[in-house]
Amino acid sequence: MDDQAKGMKKQLERLREEALRRRVEFAEARFAAVRHSGLMLQDGRADRVAAGERAGVGVRVLVEGAWGFSSSESTAYPDWVSCLESAIELARVSAARLEEPAILAEAPAVVDEVGAIFALDPRQVPLERKLAAVRGYEEASACYAGEHAANLMTGYSDAFQTEIVCNTRGTLVSSESVRTAIWHAITARNGSVRQRAREMRGEQAGFELVEATPAAELSVKAAVRAVALLGASPAPAGRFQAVFHPSITGLLVHEAIGHNAEADHILSGQSILSGKLDTKVAADCITIVDDATIPGSWGSYRYDSEGVSGQRRMIVENGVLKGFMHSLETAAKMSVAPTGSARADGFLHRPIVRMSNTMILPGEMSLDELIADIDVGILLRGGQWGYVWCEKGQYTCHAGEGVMIRNGQLAEQVRDVSISGMTLETLANVLGVSRDFELRMPGNCGKNGQSMPVNGGGPYVRVREIVVGGQG
Amino acid sequence: MQAGAEFADASVESGRGISVSVEKNAIKSSDARLWAAVSVRAFFGGGTGWYSISGIAEEQAREAGRQAAEMAKAAEPDPDFVDLVSPSPYPEIPGLYDPGLAAITPVEVAAWVVGNIDSARAVAAEAIVSGGASTGSREWALVNNLGVNVTQRTTSASVSAHAVIRHDDDVGSFFEWDAARRLADLEVDGIGARAATEALRYLNSRTVKTAVLPVVFGPLSSSGLMQGLCAAASAEEVQRNRSFLIGKKGDRVASEALTLVDDPLIGGGLSSSACDGDGFPHTKVTLVEKGVLRTFLHSHYTARKSGEQNTGHSTRGGIATTNVLPALGDKTAAEIIAEVDDGIYVALGSPVADTASGQVSALVDAGFRIENGELTHPLKNTMVAGHGLDLLQAIDAISSDYRAEPGRVLPTIRVQGVKVASGR
Repeated sequence: MDDQAKGMKKQLERLREEALRRRVEFAEARFAAVRHSGLMLQDGRADRVAAGERAGVGVRVLVEGAWGFSSSESTAYPDWVSCLESAIELARVSAARLEEPAILAEAPAVVDEVGAIFALDPRQVPLERKLAAVRGYEEASACYAGEHAANLMTGYSDAFQTEIVCNTRGTLVSSESVRTAIWHAITARNGSVRQRAREMRGEQAGFELVEATPAAELSVKAAVRAVALLGASPAPAGRFQAVFHPSITGLLVHEAIGHNAEADHILSGQSILSGKLDTKVAADCITIVDDATIPGSWGSYRYDSEGVSGQRRMIVENGVLKGFMHSLETAAKMSVAPTGSARADGFLHRPIVRMSNTMILPGEMSLDELIADIDVGILLRGGQWGYVWCEKGQYTCHAGEGVMIRNGQLAEQVRDVSISGMTLETLANVLGVSRDFELRMPGNCGKNGQSMPVNGGGPYVRVREIVVGGQG
Repeated sequence: MQAGAEFADASVESGRGISVSVEKNAIKSSDARLWAAVSVRAFFGGGTGWYSISGIAEEQAREAGRQAAEMAKAAEPDPDFVDLVSPSPYPEIPGLYDPGLAAITPVEVAAWVVGNIDSARAVAAEAIVSGGASTGSREWALVNNLGVNVTQRTTSASVSAHAVIRHDDDVGSFFEWDAARRLADLEVDGIGARAATEALRYLNSRTVKTAVLPVVFGPLSSSGLMQGLCAAASAEEVQRNRSFLIGKKGDRVASEALTLVDDPLIGGGLSSSACDGDGFPHTKVTLVEKGVLRTFLHSHYTARKSGEQNTGHSTRGGIATTNVLPALGDKTAAEIIAEVDDGIYVALGSPVADTASGQVSALVDAGFRIENGELTHPLKNTMVAGHGLDLLQAIDAISSDYRAEPGRVLPTIRVQGVKVASGR
């Protein structure tokens, strides 16, 4: 913990005393700071280097069952006291329409300090070394793509985050983390046809991530996909048997199931999983966990933004819905233990229920066995993005590429395409999952205006039917 | 500049915001935010160093400047960089700052959301309402070493309601919103009622047969058709070889029915401002005229690089449109729908073309089957697909009536021959 963090910790304790004097039911003050740096290499030049630092405080109070939250991009104590006063006033505003007073689960007070884990401190790595690594990725991609390379972009970033949570129940937790990411995007061209592909690696690690990532797993992988797509046909349209690559499984489990298993969505009547606890919601081969404890994974954390330790949470076990992700408030309202799932995006936002690393667990089948009896279907790979309408369970995911399956064999490649489905139908229609497994979808999930690092993945998953939004 | 940069600009921003969020027909939380930051770009040999830091005190700005200059010197030179924007007069745009809105209290914002919860439940007692309202004010200033010195003060407000109606396992839902820069332009009442009314219409949704059909994009989805075109018209995308519009300036890229003007000068417009992110004065730009692409969208850098006229679309790091206005047609939305024997209507959805490939593959978030000129049943699990240019060329009607938002015209647009993927 650096000197600034130590000073902020003392200020938070002082603010807690101030809150206790004002006799609020609960108060929580969070100091959050980030220092980031990055560079981008494009068309052979690293002509953009960026860095920055932001810091501030967010204060949340509970007054007579109503929440108020106030934040300020300031490290000055008088501004923090103003935030406390403002939050108390805002809680009184919230009482204007309060149907069910907020309550909080009992959780033991935690006092702890957690440092960032890394082998090579990115702050100590000279820019020249970072540039050399990024240039290596670009050169390997350019070499593979040759005359088809229309545009190459390669980026590097690292971010050191500090979050100190202090509440009136005695919790005082300081967590530091570092996330390092590298990515490569290529636009390939053949005549007027342009196709692009992107690969990213991101972990809670230092510069050792870059040293351990060969170009073959990043830029060349993207180049191979983009060049192959130049000769691919448009994807078909309609309903097809489908097999999802682990990257698509990662999108599916996050969008279709994960968001519906966030307990705030359950309590607000927005989730299709409301009222379905301990009932069958998926095929027997489906087991889903959200696990914040995986060392180094992009979505992991030791403590959440309420100072509760991150955990491995069973969501669906052998097709049966077993639990949800909880904050202190949702846990109390559903009479269960908190799961350490309340996360806040910096100091400007209050904690809300979020995922961490969400995955379907692997099974026993091989990919060959999964596709063996498919007459006509599609293997979808290169998961890119997705979203869900939780209340309807209607989701969509975008695949960077597809491969048609014909008579049990992988056949011709098809271009990028979106798919859509209804969550509960898809889960019930899973026909098998593979033993091959990947958890490699580091990204940022948006919810209520907040962006949070998460990861997702799983095995290959075969589903009986999915809507493919192609043109063919 | 004292730290060795050849060119530099700095933006300073501070703001405050209030938001009241709704969850299950009650106020979930009332929040306030204060932010203030400085961001400095420094240039050396064309290489850019960029540093942002919390706070707007002079010492923080100096520190950001020093850091940015050091990074610019470490960055690789960019021979395409020429200079920064020179000073020139800025247009006056009324209605971007409303003192009444800046002074609004959290209690008043809470009253808006309570009104919308009640109006939704007056339409459907079983409605589950979420959403909320927010207001904010922002002050922004930009200076550069060539003498640009511009400031802007804006206010903003938005109100939203997401209504969910459950009848056993059948769910109807809809999201409604309104946004403005001044109170007089904001509809604070009725958002909840509209969301609930629409949500009721989306019960009992079904698929349609996968087919090639005419698709009518309503006011809240039609802008997606233009978004992909505008993103691909960014000169940065074109110069970097990433756009499906490369080589198409002066060509027909859309139906003759489509004319698009980007107008950042509209009083009270949501995306209006006196200048772009580089400090270049804003002007009105015709992007597409009767289907012909008239210009790419430029920043100062891309304009210098290509020798073309700067259109003032820099976001200080990227390129984006402001208020995009499609020219209106001569049929009403109702008449456009009435002419369709067999098709679909997309109320919510984002048919945005991929900037590089031009491909569109999008979910119909909310929509209806059209049979014999009538909206018959709501849709589920339905997608639309095509190439962005093919879809734009196949536009055969743009409505004369439209949804008006401050600075925005959102008409209904019909596209013929769209691949619709859904049921068997």
